[in-house]
Amino acid sequence: MTIAIQVKNLRKQYGEHEAVKGISFEVKKGELLAFLGANGAGKSTTIEILCTLLKKTSGTVNINGFTLDAKNDNADIRKSIGVVFQQSLLDERLTVYENIMHRGKTYGLTKTELTANYQFVSTYLHLEDIEKKKYGTLSGGQKRRADIARALIHKPQILFLDEPTTGLDPQTRQFVWQAIKKLQQETNMTIFLTTHYMEEAAVAHHVIVLKKGQIVAQGTPDALKTTYAYDQMTLVFQNEKDGEKWLLENELTYTEKQGIYTIKVDSTLHALTLLKKAEPLLVSFEVIKGTMDDVFIHIMEDGGAA
Amino acid sequence: MNAFLSLVNRNNKVFRRDKTQVFFSLLSVIIVVALYAIFLQKMQIDRLEQIAMATPEMVTMVNEWLVAGLLSMIAVTSTLAAFGIAVKDIETKATADFLTAPVSRSTIQFSYVANAFLIGLVFSFTALIGCEIFIVATGGNLLGFAEFAKVFAILLLSVSLASVFNLFLVLFVRTQNSFSTLGTLVGTVLGFLCGVYVPVGVLPGFAQNLVMYFPISHTTVLLREAFMQNSFATVFDSVPAADVEAYKLNYGVVYDINGHLLSSSMSIIIILVTIVVLSVLSIMIFKKKNK
Repeated sequence: MTIAIQVKNLRKQYGEHEAVKGISFEVKKGELLAFLGANGAGKSTTIEILCTLLKKTSGTVNINGFTLDAKNDNADIRKSIGVVFQQSLLDERLTVYENIMHRGKTYGLTKTELTANYQFVSTYLHLEDIEKKKYGTLSGGQKRRADIARALIHKPQILFLDEPTTGLDPQTRQFVWQAIKKLQQETNMTIFLTTHYMEEAAVAHHVIVLKKGQIVAQGTPDALKTTYAYDQMTLVFQNEKDGEKWLLENELTYTEKQGIYTIKVDSTLHALTLLKKAEPLLVSFEVIKGTMDDVFIHIMEDGGAA
Repeated sequence: MNAFLSLVNRNNKVFRRDKTQVFFSLLSVIIVVALYAIFLQKMQIDRLEQIAMATPEMVTMVNEWLVAGLLSMIAVTSTLAAFGIAVKDIETKATADFLTAPVSRSTIQFSYVANAFLIGLVFSFTALIGCEIFIVATGGNLLGFAEFAKVFAILLLSVSLASVFNLFLVLFVRTQNSFSTLGTLVGTVLGFLCGVYVPVGVLPGFAQNLVMYFPISHTTVLLREAFMQNSFATVFDSVPAADVEAYKLNYGVVYDINGHLLSSSMSIIIILVTIVVLSVLSIMIFKKKNK
């Protein structure tokens, strides 16, 4: 598999403050990468550098075989990437069709190419019902469809999405997400995604977690879950003293909050064997599966193993 | 080139569809017309009657004086309004979206200038047609071919100057809020600095100098001269030359800088030099901003 994006020791300095502190990673062609991090972790800075919008301080970036900031290469990089920004940036008073065509022309495509590409994105994102409407009159989800269509109009090989589903209602989020997934599967496009929604990161091929400008964890969602997430069980005892005694006897470390005891379990089956033993003492229990949310929270809390 | 034209076309559409923007760009012109209808016209005619015979031509001449001021103002307010898109694009980060395509910042910036120039031309020539209808309707004559060609050339010059002048101002503006403040400021000050709200002669000495050194007011002078040329001959037929000169100085048809009467070619040179200087400064500031 070829490499679509290669980043080596990338740094970005704003005066005294270093926003990106020498990160390195690779994205394979056709891969869906989820780039996670709390606000201010350096996600947007990184994405802006990769999209040629911001000058890096040092490091090397290679996108689709072109070297960032090398002579004439930035134009080639721009031709091969599409970007969906967090905000909706098309012109409110122009129709969706006008917006997409005007911006499409800035890629130097011929009229025939542009029309063909428009057909392509229109079928993917179902633009028929909104293409004649003014962008400003659209709902949040419709705007997002238009934004993605605009980013795809020149058929880029890499699509950057900066929190594309933030602020959308669950149903629209689902729709947008389906469209992205379908696109990735059918066109083998490389997708670089930043998101706050862990369930979106869970379906990525590769996840990178950024904290204070550094990569603190990376790997497949499964690998990250194995390392950072664990199943938990909460117990409520009839008598707290007996409960604590039982926990000590079984050498279980626990945390307690308002009479609710939380313990780590290896698996749901492990929970079952414990429950069988503890059954006479219990009022209620709950077994909680480890999720990507836990991965994120745990990495953010302990700083992860970089 | 394709990308550039597409950007200009887009800027143009965005401007045209914003009807309130279009209206506000004409606001200061509407104010002039109102002021004129209420008292400016009457005041001027009363003054003129003291030195010359009251004739229908006199009214025409005063109307032509107004039309000249109005046309020079419209070039500035319309081009400035067109630059509103540039400010909005920066504030909303639409510029970033354009920059993900293989176009340079300077291409984008130049597309705003080209659009402002086009909008300025359309507004100026539409206003010219309106003004000619007004002059004919109030008993005056249409411009002759030679005068028309002259006015046409001055308007081109005036719109070029206004585009560069506003480009320069807008380079210092980052938000739409400050842009609307700038719009109000320019709209108000312009009427005084071109001697349209109040004739130059009425102003105190230092203000008169301010007007005469304000490059845009030279387009007003050139337009007045072009529009009023024919009327002078008839209205001031038997009026002493000294009175005529006093009128011309008082109403800013000709400027007197340090005792020298300024010729039209001198005004043209002032305008051209200003265009060059402001262009160079704008390019320098633009480059520095985007380093």
